[in-house]
Amino acid sequence: MNRPVLEELLSIARDPCPMLKAWRRKGEKRKIIGSTLTDVPEELIHAAGMLPFTILGTNKSILRASAHLPDNACSQARSDLEMVLTYQGDFFDGYILPQVDDTTQHLSDIWRRQVRWDYFETFLLPRQIDRPSARQWLLDETLRLKRSLESFTGKEISEGRLWESIGIYNQNRGYLRRLYEMKRRHPDFISNRQFFDLIKSSMWWPKEEHNGLLERFISGLEETDLMGKEGEGIRVVLSGIVWEPPEIMDILDQSGLKVVGDDLCVGWRYIDPDVEANGDPVKAIVDRHFKKGPFTPIYDKGNKIFENLLNLVTRNTAEGVIYLHIKFNESQDYDLPDLIENMEGEGIPIFVVETEYQTTHLAGIRTRIQAFGESLAQK
Amino acid sequence: MGEQAEKKPKAKEVMKQLTKDYYGGALRAHEENKYVAYTTAVSPVELFYAHDIIPIYPENHSVMCLTGRMMPRLSLEIEKRGYTSHLCAYARSDLGYREVGESPIGGIPDPDFLLACNAQCFTLTKWFQVLSRRYGVPVFVFDTPQYIRKDEARKNIIKYVEHQLAEMIEALEELTGRKFDHDRLREVLGYSTEASKLYREFLDLASIKPSPISIFDALIHMAIIVYLRGTKEAVDYYRLLIDEIKEEKVSKGIGVIPNERFRLYWENLPIWFKFRDHSDFLAAHDAVILTSLYAHAWSYDFDVSNPLGTLAENYTSVFSNVELEDRAERAIELFRRYSLNGNIMFMNRSCKAVTFGVLELKDMIIKETGIPALLFESDMGDPRFYSEVQIRTRLEAYLETLDRMGIG
Ligand code: SF4
Ligand code: SF4
Repeated sequence: MNRPVLEELLSIARDPCPMLKAWRRKGEKRKIIGSTLTDVPEELIHAAGMLPFTILGTNKSILRASAHLPDNACSQARSDLEMVLTYQGDFFDGYILPQVDDTTQHLSDIWRRQVRWDYFETFLLPRQIDRPSARQWLLDETLRLKRSLESFTGKEISEGRLWESIGIYNQNRGYLRRLYEMKRRHPDFISNRQFFDLIKSSMWWPKEEHNGLLERFISGLEETDLMGKEGEGIRVVLSGIVWEPPEIMDILDQSGLKVVGDDLCVGWRYIDPDVEANGDPVKAIVDRHFKKGPFTPIYDKGNKIFENLLNLVTRNTAEGVIYLHIKFNESQDYDLPDLIENMEGEGIPIFVVETEYQTTHLAGIRTRIQAFGESLAQK
Repeated sequence: MGEQAEKKPKAKEVMKQLTKDYYGGALRAHEENKYVAYTTAVSPVELFYAHDIIPIYPENHSVMCLTGRMMPRLSLEIEKRGYTSHLCAYARSDLGYREVGESPIGGIPDPDFLLACNAQCFTLTKWFQVLSRRYGVPVFVFDTPQYIRKDEARKNIIKYVEHQLAEMIEALEELTGRKFDHDRLREVLGYSTEASKLYREFLDLASIKPSPISIFDALIHMAIIVYLRGTKEAVDYYRLLIDEIKEEKVSKGIGVIPNERFRLYWENLPIWFKFRDHSDFLAAHDAVILTSLYAHAWSYDFDVSNPLGTLAENYTSVFSNVELEDRAERAIELFRRYSLNGNIMFMNRSCKAVTFGVLELKDMIIKETGIPALLFESDMGDPRFYSEVQIRTRLEAYLETLDRMGIG
């Protein structure tokens, strides 16, 4: 295994800012556009000649954001705001804030008013995807975003450029999916924390560079890295939006739980599917949106979150589900009682962990996750 | 306030009867082979009336549960099922009602169809999804993106929302097996237009000095515009109500409180189980709450010549779905129009949709009006999050501040 490359990727996931600053010092001229979770079409930003960066909050204490967003808003939103207000406000040139619920709607208003920026857009995602109107709307909204980016840079985003960006992004997703597949087959080849840090680093690092690193990492893998480990550990599916604080992933590792599938916005939902390379590139980007896995605030016909989770468990022969619930995330609050009942009705153990970005007392969580792991092992 | 309510028995009696008929009709709906659709207070309900479907507002029913002080008992019931106590009190009360079946009015019929319009809030879409699973009936998420202040976006938004109105018409045709009647829609919309105008006229009576109505009256009489807009009864009702107030109060120069000094704005929904107490307490201090953006959420401005377009525009641009700057402007306009000189800003744990912007809004309104604001946190329906002593003390201190500033 090419350890130095892996180490480089992991260090991006620890804190990308010093490295991005160094990148800038090396002569990188591109502007950095931050966007919050989830579903902002990064390919468009990339094709506009800028650097898309997913803002994933801070685990430090909330100090400044409290004056603007009440304490019963989810820590995802509050941490994002805290991060730009306190730590990295100068780091970004502009922002695109996607809207999916009441929290994101207010966050985007507050952000627009309180944060300094050269460029600001809201990206109004459809909150239903079960009818044709949603597709037309997202196409219109994506075209609006495209024009908005063009007018910011003063340059048109050509079809050719956009296809090029799509190619780079597809390649990145492809590498990460390949690694996921290896992790599924040989759950010990890379730890949960390391693997999900790879995805995080991809959200934070210029994609062409990231592709280079992933390629070197993958080509450096030797058979001994993968052999003889099939079937080890307790296989679980991870459900939710983010895995914060990051120590959660370490706890899973220490408890012998192997993540073999997930529906996280910073997981599978980020790396699957690809944009299909035909027709009009903007339409192709929009098409991809409708093929992604379910996301709790977005309504789709049927009981998609449950169906998808069930499918993940069965397909990956997992033994249980760990659900990461961000405190004050209303969508999850409304989903959970039925979801638990449905999963248990299928005989699938599900364990809900409620956390916030700022959760520091992890001892209790550790004990309970370990107990859940043991109960799965005994099955 | 009790006294004043008795002086206008006519409108009140009519309202009682209308409410009785409405719920009675709803409860008989299934026997009479009629369809019942649940909907959100802000939603294109005109489509239901035009298609002869009975709209039911679980929120309204929840208000009755909250004023009937059935919280926190109902909430505890669903907390047992794993729902958290920080969800909207309407939702908790509704889901609790479904577990225990207790209701101040003998219940509401089960739904055949659910319409959740997220201009009002996002909560409702999730709450209705729970109901949709419970009853195995379709939920139609009527998606109204935030009405941001960009021309291109607005044009697209209206197009998207109109498209969904057409989809909803199809869904209703499918539900009932009947063709939708667009002429009937125009007629219904005509009633809505008229009722909305009259409703605004009623609310605007609060601009008179001394004001003949308080927000307490607005909240009581709001029920009709919420669940009967689209009917002739609603139009007749507001006409009657306005005439009555003009005759009994305005013509005689009688105000809702005897000695009106502080004319207050109220931000957010009321604390339902305490609102009468608050009004009495304030009246004793020569203060009266006159209006709120919340009460104005139903004073629509329809254009009958373009039914789907006007429904799209009105329901998308409600105060809870516009940018904060727009919302502040609308509030500030109320300060001017109603000559308000005080501002109570309630941070409602229940309602994230209205509350998350309040900290910001407070600064914006103070900057424009120069009037200090009282900000406090509690819950509109759950006494567990309400502290009587603290709130009274703060209200008193606030009025003293206004007094010291020579306001009022
Ligand atoms: S409440 Fe949930 S969906 Fe909404 S911003 Fe927070 S984490 Fe995202
Ligand atoms: S969250 Fe607010 S707008 Fe939504 S149902 Fe509750 S009180 Fe009404």
